[in-house]
Amino acid sequence: MTGFLSFFRFFFLPRALLSHYRRHPLQLVALGVMIVLATMLWTGVNQLTSQARASLAQSEQAVAERRQVLRDDGGALAVDDFVTLRLAGVCVMPWLEVTPSPGHHLAGQRLVGIDPLAAHCFGNSVDGAGALDQPLDGKPFVDIHTAAGISARESRLHLLVPASTNPSVLPPGYSLAGFSASPDTGELGDSFLLNLEALGVLVLLIAALLLRSVYLLGLAQRRESFALLHRFGVPPGRVQRWLALEILALALLGVVPGVWLGRWLATGLGGGFGQALEGLFDIPLYAGQGQGWLTPVLVMLAVVMVSCLGDLLFLRFRQRLALPLAVQAVVAAALLVTGLAMAWLAPSLLWVFIAVALVFAGAGWLTPLAVARLSHWRARLAKKPLVLWRYRELAVLVRRLTLPLVALQFALAMVLAVQALVTTFESTFDRWLAQRLEAAYYIEVPAGADGRKAADWLTSAQERSPDLQWHRVIRGSALLADASGEGGRQVDVFALAPISSLIREWSLLEAAERHWETLAAGDGVMINEQLARRHNLGAGDRLQLSIGGEPLDSVIVGVYPDYGRPVGEVLLNAGLLPASFNTRFESVSVTPGRPGIDRITEALRQIWDVGALTTRDNATIRELATGVFDQTFALTRAMTLLTLVLAASALLMMGWVLFSTRTWYFRLLVAWGMSQREVAAQLLRLALLLTGGIAALALPLGLWLTWALVHRINPLAFGWSLPMAVYPGFWLELAVLSLAIGLSIALLMRRQLSRPAALPASASALSGGER
Amino acid sequence: MSEPLLVVRGLSKQFVSANETVPVIEKLSFTLGQGRSLALTGRSGSGKSTLLNLLCGLEVADAGSIALRDQVFEAGAAAAKHRAAAWARLRKQHIGVVFQEANLMPALTLLENVQFRAYLAGRDPAHSEDWLTRLNIGELARRYPDQVSGGQRQRAALAMVFAMEPALILADEPTGSLDRHTSDEVTGLMFELQARHGCSLILATHDAELAAGCQQHLDLGHLSGV
Repeated sequence: MTGFLSFFRFFFLPRALLSHYRRHPLQLVALGVMIVLATMLWTGVNQLTSQARASLAQSEQAVAERRQVLRDDGGALAVDDFVTLRLAGVCVMPWLEVTPSPGHHLAGQRLVGIDPLAAHCFGNSVDGAGALDQPLDGKPFVDIHTAAGISARESRLHLLVPASTNPSVLPPGYSLAGFSASPDTGELGDSFLLNLEALGVLVLLIAALLLRSVYLLGLAQRRESFALLHRFGVPPGRVQRWLALEILALALLGVVPGVWLGRWLATGLGGGFGQALEGLFDIPLYAGQGQGWLTPVLVMLAVVMVSCLGDLLFLRFRQRLALPLAVQAVVAAALLVTGLAMAWLAPSLLWVFIAVALVFAGAGWLTPLAVARLSHWRARLAKKPLVLWRYRELAVLVRRLTLPLVALQFALAMVLAVQALVTTFESTFDRWLAQRLEAAYYIEVPAGADGRKAADWLTSAQERSPDLQWHRVIRGSALLADASGEGGRQVDVFALAPISSLIREWSLLEAAERHWETLAAGDGVMINEQLARRHNLGAGDRLQLSIGGEPLDSVIVGVYPDYGRPVGEVLLNAGLLPASFNTRFESVSVTPGRPGIDRITEALRQIWDVGALTTRDNATIRELATGVFDQTFALTRAMTLLTLVLAASALLMMGWVLFSTRTWYFRLLVAWGMSQREVAAQLLRLALLLTGGIAALALPLGLWLTWALVHRINPLAFGWSLPMAVYPGFWLELAVLSLAIGLSIALLMRRQLSRPAALPASASALSGGER
Repeated sequence: MSEPLLVVRGLSKQFVSANETVPVIEKLSFTLGQGRSLALTGRSGSGKSTLLNLLCGLEVADAGSIALRDQVFEAGAAAAKHRAAAWARLRKQHIGVVFQEANLMPALTLLENVQFRAYLAGRDPAHSEDWLTRLNIGELARRYPDQVSGGQRQRAALAMVFAMEPALILADEPTGSLDRHTSDEVTGLMFELQARHGCSLILATHDAELAAGCQQHLDLGHLSGV
């Protein structure tokens, strides 16, 4: 007997359990596909974020390690120069900027050709072999032979060397200078990555909800089999252990290909993404490799196990927490309100993240309860029995589809927030670029040269050509006078002369009357957002500084946005700088107008008596930076939309399955004399009410998430905030998408209606789950 | 002999499964008068449920005709849409269907179910509670189907049918899932109300005793053109 029992346990029990999937193979396929897709999605997002973060970290290291070789005679560099330098043993990497000729299919875009084989020159911070492996098929970076083969309207070769290169190793006729192809985005990039990571967590949550909903649906259908096994004497614990083993095996089978697909997705999409970030942070070929296999596999295994078997693992706990609906609603509302209040008042980033979790938990718990309550309330008001039936049926569907509906709500809210965030980032980035790159060119004042001589020449040139615009930029630092009389905090000084029209287009956060005139006259200063926030300063307040040891007491006439610059900065007229001021860096910003940049640089070269000048073409930088950020934004949108599609597909599938289990009752309406068309119309109204209602409830959650990201997370993480914008046009698009899901469910059900309906499995023993 | 309510002539229906065609009903003819009851018997699979479905238009016959009240439905594909609409009108107002189980909407109370059915038939839903009382479940009116027993659910299903004041009741083994005592109670009420309201009844059943209570008897196990 004992032997028979053992045989039964180890042979028939798993067979009996798995027989469900033999009868419902599509359910097994759905569960497997859901595990694979959820893993793929999260791994993809996570991989991209890891790559982006690695790129950023590497760029921070490498940005200081980049210099270029210039010819002392100021001539353009050519292949011969590259050969000369290599023969002299200088490790040099060519960087060929190309503007394709009109008529070329890439006309209008600026490309950068890079030689991967020479990338090992910058191999200190990354693995050289890794650098060589990077694909170069994206924009704007291409292989140098591709760039060289393009029919170009304009091309320019730079030869880059590591910062550690000793000038003495250069052959005669060459010298070193700084090199930068794009501005340092600093905190702007960091902030974007932090938000991406937060969204990655949300994607994980949505994936877990979807997995759980698919698994529980199958489990509900297997309940009778479990009861039968229990009657045969199989203890529930043994069934649960086999179920755990079953889902573990399924998870192992699904997670590994899911991670592989996620990495493939990240590599496919991330070719452009990685290059985008590399370009953005001024680092060619240095894309990070992201994380390995073990972490995503373990994370997703844990997510699958907990989301599917959480009930079994915490069964006793759950039974104690089986609260009445009214209590559940109060607890959910309390979570929501606590989260909202906490997000408003949170003193640190950790508390804001906890607040976001509380709000999502509260909203996810409350939404189905609220919709069901609303449906019952609406049913009570109904005068016609048909309307009463529809709202009661809606309440049942909401309750039975809680998990996929909440997943869809979260996905919609996330997409709304990402759309608002990305669009806000885009416009902020445009303004940031406009502020940083207000002039067409930056010309560095060489060490030892006198910037005033250049200013004199430019003043006279401007008299001859009024369309020439320029100003000198002098950078250094000062100390804020401390009220205690002790040494104050250091701030950056951004001194300009003259206060040209180039910066007068800046949008200011706060401004006094006639602010530009006051600044130009030297009667006031402006400060950046960071300094204003940190010291609670605004237009009209006074600022005491110690510049070069001399005191300066001036009124603040404006506060300008700094888009993430972490250091306090003071903008003032360079005429206020004392002779003792220590200039850290000096440049001239020029929009050349008619004289042209070549004539101006030639004149300045002669005035300063140097062989070559370091000139930055801001149009190039703007094109590169805009192009790469556009790619990043497009990818972020694509990933969130993919999450939405997954959530929508899950709801579609679950909705269809659930509607199918109720086909008998819809067919009952036909037996009672409603035509199939009338019943289909009722189904359509039900499905649209369901998905439209969820879209409506996702809107406030999405708006709140946007607010939390831009107004709470960003300022707490970086000390600055983005402006919050809303996009009703996009809300409409999402509403249409939600209604399309409802329409699809209704169409599938209409098809189902024309087929014979089986009696509900529990018809003779209604359990209450049907209402 | 009362006026005929239902006249069936040469009715045939076959199902096609996999590679074979299975005839279920062949050239069946019979007539049912107004206020009369007919017991439909036969082994499982003999076509009782199929015949009931044909008689209320839920399935379409391959051959023959059905005349119900003043409408005649000929088999064939012609005017299928028109025919479906006409059957739907008949089911809504004049044909009450009772299945073996699952006759009620689970999200509605017993009373709401009866009101719903009366509303669809265009009758006054205000009398719905009376029907439940007549079937001895008035005190359960505000309970949901899952909160009452199987016998009580079948009584509610009968209340629904009588609330629509039908000309014809089609009952497909309505007490098949009930115990003997409850079954007797439910069928007793059904016959009583059917007789009192003068509607016709076709009752598909395995139960010979029950069949004996009907005025006419049609055994589908001995089909020979009744």
